[in-house]
Amino acid sequence: MDVVLNDVRFGRNGRTVLDIPALSFAGGTTTAVFGPNGAGKTTLLRLIAGLEQPKTGEVRVGGVEPGRNPAARRRVAFAFQEAVFLGRSVRRNLDFALRLHGIDQSERRARIHDVADECGIGPVLERPARRLSTGEAQRANLARALVLRAPVTLLDEPLAGIDRVARAQLLEDLPRLLATFAATTILVTHDREEAFRLADHMVILIDGAVRTAGPTGEVYRRPSDRQTAAMLGYTLLRLGDSWLAVPPGALGLGGGGGCPEFTLLVERAVDMGSHFHLLGTIGGVKVDLRLAAGAPLPAPGATIRVHAQFHIHMR
Amino acid sequence: MSDLARGMAEAARLLLSGDRELYGIILRSLMISGLATLLAMGVGVPLGYGLARGRFPGRTLVLGAVNTGMGMPPVVVGLVVWLLLTRSGPLGSLDLVYTKQAMVAAQLLIATPLVVGFTAASIQALPVQLPDLLRSLGAGRAQTLWTISREARLGLLAAVMAGFGAIISEVGASMTVGGNLRGSTRVLTTAIVTETSRGNLPLALALGLMLLVLSFAVNLLLTVLQQRRVG
Amino acid sequence: MTPRPAAFSVLSALSALSALSVLSVFSVLSAQAAGDMILATTTSTQDSGLLDSLLPPFQAARGVHVKVIAVGTAAALEMARRGDADAVLVHSPEDERQYVESGDLVRGRLIMHNDFLIVGPAGDPAGVGSAPDAVEAVRRIARAGAFVARGDGSGTEKKELALWKAAGIDPRTIAKREETGQGMGATLFVAEQRQGYTLADRATYLALRERLTVVPLFEGDPVLLNVYHAYLVNPAKHPGVHLEAARAFLDFLVAPETQRLIGEFGRARLGQPLFVADAGKAESEVGRAVER
Repeated sequence: MDVVLNDVRFGRNGRTVLDIPALSFAGGTTTAVFGPNGAGKTTLLRLIAGLEQPKTGEVRVGGVEPGRNPAARRRVAFAFQEAVFLGRSVRRNLDFALRLHGIDQSERRARIHDVADECGIGPVLERPARRLSTGEAQRANLARALVLRAPVTLLDEPLAGIDRVARAQLLEDLPRLLATFAATTILVTHDREEAFRLADHMVILIDGAVRTAGPTGEVYRRPSDRQTAAMLGYTLLRLGDSWLAVPPGALGLGGGGGCPEFTLLVERAVDMGSHFHLLGTIGGVKVDLRLAAGAPLPAPGATIRVHAQFHIHMR
Repeated sequence: MSDLARGMAEAARLLLSGDRELYGIILRSLMISGLATLLAMGVGVPLGYGLARGRFPGRTLVLGAVNTGMGMPPVVVGLVVWLLLTRSGPLGSLDLVYTKQAMVAAQLLIATPLVVGFTAASIQALPVQLPDLLRSLGAGRAQTLWTISREARLGLLAAVMAGFGAIISEVGASMTVGGNLRGSTRVLTTAIVTETSRGNLPLALALGLMLLVLSFAVNLLLTVLQQRRVG
Repeated sequence: MTPRPAAFSVLSALSALSALSVLSVFSVLSAQAAGDMILATTTSTQDSGLLDSLLPPFQAARGVHVKVIAVGTAAALEMARRGDADAVLVHSPEDERQYVESGDLVRGRLIMHNDFLIVGPAGDPAGVGSAPDAVEAVRRIARAGAFVARGDGSGTEKKELALWKAAGIDPRTIAKREETGQGMGATLFVAEQRQGYTLADRATYLALRERLTVVPLFEGDPVLLNVYHAYLVNPAKHPGVHLEAARAFLDFLVAPETQRLIGEFGRARLGQPLFVADAGKAESEVGRAVER
């Protein structure tokens, strides 16, 4: 089921939070809505879930406005950023959600069993949902959204607030879970790695406006503006009166024969064993460089010549 | 001490003898205070919910008024209601003074601030995003209200117990507004006053014991409901 | 935020409205309106039990439901003045006069009388029993005894205060005088506790006699007569008065059969009647020969 936004504007307290002339999420895709904090990402999800109404324009999920009635809202499963549970066991929370969606008892049992297994919450099914650890709560929250197998699944920062180990594990499991249980997925994140790892499409949202939208690879290869490039992880280097967006690892030592060249002021070099890691600045912008082991190691304070093997011109 | 023992013996004797007047008084107390509590819940729970979740100018003032109302002396409420309903008062032509209905009205006014206050507190203690969660799951209005009530069960049942407890045990308003008429508006508390002033201490004690037992029974039932673990 | 809160407040306003309408429908269905009346009377009248025995036949015969509100004499008379009652049955002729003159009470009828007793400890430390009259009796109590007073604006209290006045004593100067602020029964029990003196109407004393050790020590002085009149609350001043019901009640009180019942009331239970029926007599004839 697809999601389409048309000329949508949303404001709060006189401030415009979102201004989206056109945006669509194709059925079956997993899209990461990526942007800095305060960009309006959660608001976008709330509009799609039918929890808010746009001031102008319309949001349609499978052709229907989600805010219209409970049945329309059931097309969208929404896992909030902060998990909210009823004061019951995890199982009864999942069961409650399924019952609201009109699933009969035997089907409910089966689905809960499956999703609990896959999401790794089997051991805590009978525990009071409000007494889970953060990691367990995030998984249970996710499980509740996935168990519904709704046409559209919304995940708000699904990996936020959990410890590194748990996060790494979930990051690993999520693509498989989404493939198994979700149809169209829209997930919000401010973490680049999550966006690249989890989504086949990407929407860059900055200050309430969509800067770019499209398949992840394309969005990455063609950043629309400097802010977007920075968000995507490019280093922005001034070249004359224009800018170059340089992807990580694209700087090489010495001249590059035709490639743009820069002067790097060395801060320090770290011997990593298999290679050297050089940290410095170019025109005040922090960069890092990988040097093969065995090459002469520049001293801190020295200046060296580097070139950008890959780069994109930006205005 | 022997008075207390005589009171208990008298209580047992009266109950077992099936004394019609006594049973009438007990039933009447239950009906009047029960009805008033139900009505107080009907009015007070939605108000409490609105107060807890709403954001409107003057909200703090209203909350302050509710908290004051919770501590309002019932006898004052009774006096005000009586002044309204008495023959010479503005609502005198309704002929409601010294009736059970008037007592229900007065008790309703006493119980409602308690219900509103407890409900507001219990709703405020719920996770802020709970209504959003229910909406996003596609719950209708009625379903949302029911689920939130279940989640706030602890506080809501406390509200019932507080409201009922306040009015089943109050005597000032019931006396003033009801008139303590034998066979029609005499309830346990006003009967206790009458018998005490007549010097029938064993009977007064017996009535007092019955009031305690009644109150305990109702509250026990509600507490069981409140504390039932939801799996 | 969700628009919920506004919806719920509307819901509760609706609940309040429906609560009110339930109550008013209830009241319309069960109100006997014209067929009921409010009788303001005194606590001692109520406590004597006389009305409990007179009212059921009246209510059955005439279909009039009498709501008896028993308060102190002062309060009962004030109820009449405000129009909060339909009829009044009290026993404080001096005060009643004031309300008759002001037009609040009309159609006054003499109904019955009983009398007051001075009760006290059997040993009678103040020597009340040998006093020549009531005034001297109270004078002796002021000198040597403890007194328990009603202090509740009742007819009994008025009688007590009149006695002090006649004796030239300011009751507030009596060291061992206490006010209970309660009814006759409660006051008698306090007197019992203190083994002190009090002024009690005969009816209440007789009803509680078995539980008391204080005994009647002085009686019979005409000044101790307790005369009961019944009045209508003036319908001209208070149009809301349930006139027919009130009139029916007053007629009932003075009817020969009722008067007979009044004269017999209490004999079976206590060995002597509590009241003397007086309807139809001239005021001056009342209590001419107080025989016990």
